[in-house]
Parts: sequence; structure tokens; C-alpha cells
Amino acid sequence: MHNLGFALEAVWRVLLAGLILGAGLPALFALGVRSLAYGAGGPGRAPRPLGTAGGYLCFAIVLLGVALGITFIVASGFGKELSFEHVYPTVVDK
Amino acid sequence: MTIESVTETTVVLVLVIVTALGFDFTNGFHDTANAMATSIATRALRPKVAVLLSGVLNLVGAFLSVEVALTVSNAVVKIQNSNGTPKQDLVADGGAALLLIILAGLVGGIVWNLLTWLLGLPSSSSHALFGGLIGATIAGLGWSGVNWNGDGSKLDGVIGKVVLPAVMSPVIAGAVAATGTWLIYRITAGVDQRFTDNGFRWGQIGSASLVSLAHGTNDAQKTMGVITLALIATGAWTDTTNIPFWVKAACAVAIALGTALGGWRIIRTVGKGLVEISPPQGLAAESASAAVILASSHLGFALSTTHVATGSILGSGVGRPGALVRWAVAGRMVAAWLITLPAAAVVGALMWWLGNGVGGLAGAVTIFLVLLAAAAFMYLRSRRAPVDHTNVNDDWDARRELADADR
Repeated sequence: MHNLGFALEAVWRVLLAGLILGAGLPALFALGVRSLAYGAGGPGRAPRPLGTAGGYLCFAIVLLGVALGITFIVASGFGKELSFEHVYPTVVDK
Repeated sequence: MTIESVTETTVVLVLVIVTALGFDFTNGFHDTANAMATSIATRALRPKVAVLLSGVLNLVGAFLSVEVALTVSNAVVKIQNSNGTPKQDLVADGGAALLLIILAGLVGGIVWNLLTWLLGLPSSSSHALFGGLIGATIAGLGWSGVNWNGDGSKLDGVIGKVVLPAVMSPVIAGAVAATGTWLIYRITAGVDQRFTDNGFRWGQIGSASLVSLAHGTNDAQKTMGVITLALIATGAWTDTTNIPFWVKAACAVAIALGTALGGWRIIRTVGKGLVEISPPQGLAAESASAAVILASSHLGFALSTTHVATGSILGSGVGRPGALVRWAVAGRMVAAWLITLPAAAVVGALMWWLGNGVGGLAGAVTIFLVLLAAAAFMYLRSRRAPVDHTNVNDDWDARRELADADR
């Protein structure tokens, strides 16, 4: 059952990437929402600019993740693939 | 080869192309739910806006497939060489033998897609297509025509490309979505709803759009590959490194129209039937789907968006303490997954025998007519209890009681 071996090999990588991008980014997004709410203050409380800034920082990181996803879709459409050889992603030929 | 047989093959080729585009169309509306069911159920988007957005993104995604693999069928059947050209002995008669296998396979895929749509079950369109092709190949070439297990060098064959991913991907997606849901609820506990509602609305729209785009690039390609294979088999196209532009355009438009039509029956099951979805769950589910689909396509792990999306939604139900998960609905769905490939294979094989028995052009026309009759029958059946954008979000249990009262 060589296929089972290959599949299990792929599975833990997909699970790892899924947890980082598919659960980590939404968690960061949630943190951004919380931070924005904290920054907005409330009735009888002054707004806290630091919270607002932190919120937008979280959203910016999430957007980078989304951009990575779109880059991957476009690159594979053009027969290229993303390489994570240099840690940061680069587009290379397949 | 006589002039007559050339014209006959051309007519069959046209039938194959029309049927392939028909399959692409059912692929579209069968899978709208994967991306948009959560956004529709949580009312992040109005139903018609959601399916239209998904349709447009599928169109864009399909056009992004500049490099299309012609070897899509190689994962499961042996009707092509590794460079994408058809096997020699299948095109010895001008391509008729290969065209019949493709046509019968496509009919098997469409019939199963329509039946599961009628029942509101989200089954995998790729499994239906592969199943149909496998059945038609077994009928036409025997058991040895099927690539069951690959050659041992990589993840390949029916086991490696279809069965194992189908078993594993919903579990991975479910685990990711459950983790995401749990984290989101922990992090935003106690935050005023006016912040969470708007934030998660945009999060859902963004992640669902990503799923739609990925779907367009992945799924439209399969039909493009099948049509080009048929063109090469008849000698109408010879380039194995490119596909004709009109094929790409036609497939892109077919899948986009299908998606924009919206498979409301399936959207209802996925969005309302499995889990009562809240906006944070919707965000977690769609993000998990997008991440798992993209990561696995990066790693060459061929999975079905349907299995991932439904796994994610179930996971988002598991990850939220106290959420209602309708395991009976999930069980019905899993049963449909299990029989999708064999059932489409049986239809594909029957169609091949029918077409081959009648023979020639008449045979191809006969199975095409059978397809039309089956499609018309299922459409008429669907009109008895229509589901559309007006009632897609109706309360699940209330409708169930009505249906039971009718019986």
C-alpha cells in the first residue's frame, strides 16, 4: 500500500498548513475584531487609539495571508508554483 | 476511412462537447454550496448576490487556468499516454472508440450529479466524473483499463487520487474548522455584537470568495482537459501543450453560469441542514476550506472541494460548544459520498453497453437522448418541491415536519 504512505505523508503537511492558515488567520482576524472593539472605547469611556491600531495590524496580516492564497491560485493557473525555499514565498517554474 | 464515417465521428464529437459542457454546468451548480452556503445561511450576503459573486469568481478562476493538464483522466483510467495523447489502439478507427467511452462516462457523471442535486445531497462532482469514466472504461476495455493503484512512484490511481483523499480530507478540514471556531469564540467572548457581526460578515465574504476562485481554476480544468482529449482523438486538434481558446472560454462560461444559477437544494442542506451556522462559524469553516484546498493542491493531494467544505462546516459545529449538529443529515451525506463513484460508474458502464450495442452514430445519439430524458425527468420531479432563493434559508426542522405531513 505505497499510496497510503504517500497519502499520510501529504496529510500531516496539509493539516499543518491548514491549522496555521485556516485556523490561525481567522483567530488573528478575531483578535483584530476584539482589538478594534477595545479601541473604540464605549459609553463614557475614551477611545483607545492603540487598540484600533492593533486591530488594523491584525487585519493587515490576515490580508497578506489572503494575498498569498490568491498568488498561489494565479501562479498555478499559469503553470508556476510557490516555493517556500527562502522561507518567504517566491513564484518559480514547476 | 470513408467520408461517411468521418462525418459520423464529427457528429459524435459535437455530442461529446455538448455533453461535457453540460457536465461542467452541473459541476457549477452542484458546488455553489461549497463556497456560498455559509454566507447565505448567516445572511452575510443575500442569496442571489452570493451565487452571482461565486459565478463571477468561477469565471475569473477558469480563465486563470492558462496551463491546463491534458492528462486529467490518467489518474483513474488508461485511455491516454503520459503526454496527453490518446492511446493508439483507441483512435485506430478515427477516434470513435474513445469518444464513446468519454461520452458514456460524462453521461454517468451528469446523471449522478442531477440525482444527488434532486435529493439535495452535496456529492463530489469530480467523483461523479471519474466514476462515469471508470465505468465506461471497464465496459469498453475491461478491468485492466482502470488505473487502480498507480505505479508505486507517487500518489496515483483510483486509491491514491480518489479514495484516500476522500476519506482523509473531510477529517482534516473538520479538525481545522473546529480549531478555528473554538479559537474565534474564545477570543471574541464578551465583545459587543455590533463589532463581531460586521467583522465576521466581511471575513466570511472574503474567505468564501477565495474558495470560489480556487474552485474555478480547479474544476473547469477537468472539463477543458476532457474536451481537448476528444478533439485530439478525432484529429481536430494536435497540440498537446495548449488547449484551444474556445474550449477554455466555453468551459469557463458553462461552470460560471451553473454556479450563478445556484444549486439551491444543495445550498439548503449544506447551509441549514448540517449545523445552525453563526457568522464566526461561517468564517472558520470557509477559511478552513480555502486553506485546506489550496495547501493540498500545492502538495498534489487531489481532493474534492465538496468533501472539504462539508467537513469544514461539520467541524465548525463540533468546535462551538453547545452547537447543534444534525448527524443524521451528515450520515446521509457520507452515504452519498460512498456510492457516488460506484453509482456513476454503473451508469457510465450501462451507457457504454447501450451505445456500443446500438452502434455508431445511432448509439451515441441514443445515449444522448437517454441523458436528456433523465435530466428532464429529474427537473420535473424537482418542481414538486422547489427550493430557490426565497426559501433556501427556511427553518430546517419546520420544513421537515411539513414534508412529513404531506406523506
